[in-house]
Amino acid sequence: MLKPPNSAVPNLSHRAIICNAINLAEGFPDFPAPHHIKAAGISAINSDFNQYRHVQGICDRLAEILRDTHGLEVDPLTDIAICCVIDPGDEVILFEPAFETYGGCISLAGGVPVYVALDPPYWTLDAKKLLNSFTNRTKALVLNSPHNPTGKVFTRDELEVIAGACRMNDCLAVTDEVYEYVTYDGIKHVSLASLAGMQERTIITSSLSKTFSVTGWRIGWAIAPALIASTIKNIHIRLTDSAPAPFQEAALTALTCQPPYFESLRQDYESKRDFLVKLLVGVGFRIRSKPQGSFFLFAELPENCLLSDVECVKKLIEEAGVVAVPGCGFFPSISCPSEDSHTVAGNQFNYQNRFIRFAFCKSDATLSSAALKLGEFMKAVGPLG
Amino acid sequence: MSSLAIKHGAINLGQGFPNFDGPDFVKQAAIQAINEGKNQYARGYGIPDFNAAIAERFKKDTGLVIDPEKEVTVTSGCTEAIAATMLGLINPGDEVILFAPFYDSYEATLSMAGADIKCITLRPPDFAVPLDELRSKISKKTRAILINTPHNPTGKMFTRDELNEIASLCIENDVLVFTDEVYDKLAFEMEHISMASLPGMFERTVTMNSLGKTFSLTGWKIGWAIAPPHLIWGVKQAHAFLTFATSTPMQWAATTALRAPDSYYEELKGDYLAKKQILEQGLKDVGFTVFPSSGTYFIVVDHTPFGLKNDIEFCEYLIKEVGVVAIPTSVFYLDPEEGKNLVRFTFCKDEGTLRSAVERMKEKLKRK
Repeated sequence: MLKPPNSAVPNLSHRAIICNAINLAEGFPDFPAPHHIKAAGISAINSDFNQYRHVQGICDRLAEILRDTHGLEVDPLTDIAICCVIDPGDEVILFEPAFETYGGCISLAGGVPVYVALDPPYWTLDAKKLLNSFTNRTKALVLNSPHNPTGKVFTRDELEVIAGACRMNDCLAVTDEVYEYVTYDGIKHVSLASLAGMQERTIITSSLSKTFSVTGWRIGWAIAPALIASTIKNIHIRLTDSAPAPFQEAALTALTCQPPYFESLRQDYESKRDFLVKLLVGVGFRIRSKPQGSFFLFAELPENCLLSDVECVKKLIEEAGVVAVPGCGFFPSISCPSEDSHTVAGNQFNYQNRFIRFAFCKSDATLSSAALKLGEFMKAVGPLG
Repeated sequence: MSSLAIKHGAINLGQGFPNFDGPDFVKQAAIQAINEGKNQYARGYGIPDFNAAIAERFKKDTGLVIDPEKEVTVTSGCTEAIAATMLGLINPGDEVILFAPFYDSYEATLSMAGADIKCITLRPPDFAVPLDELRSKISKKTRAILINTPHNPTGKMFTRDELNEIASLCIENDVLVFTDEVYDKLAFEMEHISMASLPGMFERTVTMNSLGKTFSLTGWKIGWAIAPPHLIWGVKQAHAFLTFATSTPMQWAATTALRAPDSYYEELKGDYLAKKQILEQGLKDVGFTVFPSSGTYFIVVDHTPFGLKNDIEFCEYLIKEVGVVAIPTSVFYLDPEEGKNLVRFTFCKDEGTLRSAVERMKEKLKRK
């Protein structure tokens, strides 16, 4: 059965609306999508691309990109399905903290999520922990890199460990690479599938949403060896049948953007990241792990702060007028305490309750307003902790 | 079939989507939404104004007053509404009754949910519900029954008597009803009736619909489910893990679409009725046994006068030798044998295309 949604978060969202708080919680931009992408969508609607479609051109272009960026050869006719492999009782390994949807999808398929904790404060992979989590029921492993919520980009060494474990245990890998073009400090995103012995066992997933600031267009894709891709396609056809047709056309335009587009995307987000890091450090947050990718920052509460993440977010909403997401929601192996419950003394200091996720996919105006509000909060209340 | 069709330059009366486009006022609304920056995630279960428009339309159609916030979930097409309903409300081992022939995603998603499918076949000439068989198959062990009306592929519309009978059996045995009503605005020979509007039925019915067929925008993937809160909950949960959110600009446009005046729907019906008459008369003239179609844009015919062994062979012959595409209906049955005499044509094409197809068939299809 599906787990009910985290009860703490909707109440905080409601509070945030009442307090008219600045939203650094939601993971989508509040600035417009690129003009030429919108124009492509509009042109497609006007040109009558409005019935059920499969756009082979997207598959062709994705195959080119994979070859040029990761050195992978895929057959655009058979290996790419635009949207499974789990049998009831199968175990799927996930890294914690994790985007909350993965666990739900696995449960929906009758599988068992098995969480392997990344070690704070740098969210490093412990190879031993990973290897010990495999059993003879392990079917697959999910890898999200660049990572939501921490902004971590898995290093090549870590990817080698993961690849080695997958090969040794003959299991599949499902990668979520939606933030693939949002990396910083010259760090390059490496696709797990490009490592030895991995292409044959990896399902790569990604989308237009984050790269082109069109999270509401619902265009994504899966790339896998032909047999798996055809299974995905079979299921996809019965679940939604096709992605919105005009936006598939627009995807053709998007995917043929030249390097300068991606460079400026990276630069814009990098400067927003730096702005937010400075701002939050000023408020008293500890940021030992600066995001290397994605547009999320997982900020740690100061050591002497007695609040839990949920309590701190509530305080920020009510007293600073800024909203972010309590980190406990990304640790499915513990449950978020409701904001009204009395926190057990020991519980407050579990690291899973000590992080807050801020999103910086926001306009400079929004980030500046947040800075102003947090500045006022500091003057009135002092730094956190 | 599609690649064969292209290879032979065949006129496609197989695919169930129009070869003409949707109305300008709806397309413009989507363009406006894109330009106004409505391009980010919509609320998972629907943009508030769209949910409201769905509720308004439902009230106009059925007289029922529903809460758009608590009784409506927006999905990525009706296909996803079906998937979300099955995955959200059916547990492994649950018995579900299905009427054959059926749209293929019903069986697929029921299998994904681990359901125990009990099938009842609707037969020509009128595809009436065999009530005795239904009474024998429905019991307290039945979890749900799925009804598609107006019906793809036959064009049958469930009558008030049939729906009343099914309703009383469902109430007696505490059975849920899932209805797929995507063709409700293409009702020609009788009025469309929503099961949810029958006494005692709203509380146990999930009513599903979409934008695609009514507004000739099948590729936009905008659908919805309407049900009481205790049932909507399951649909909403599953939807959150299937597509999470539905296309934002299209939802804004759909809001405008659903508030279209009565004249839009009258014109839609009038246009399709004219097309139906061309195809129906044409198929009769060619020599098919044509079964009456009360709704949808499909007509099902018996192809056996032309001497081919089964529906698949007939369709292949039709493409290669005649240059027209139809769909073999055996794919819509659990037991393909049951559909081998029937094929489905569609009239969601411009009149010129329909006339050309009829001409080709008159010229080249000969009764044996």
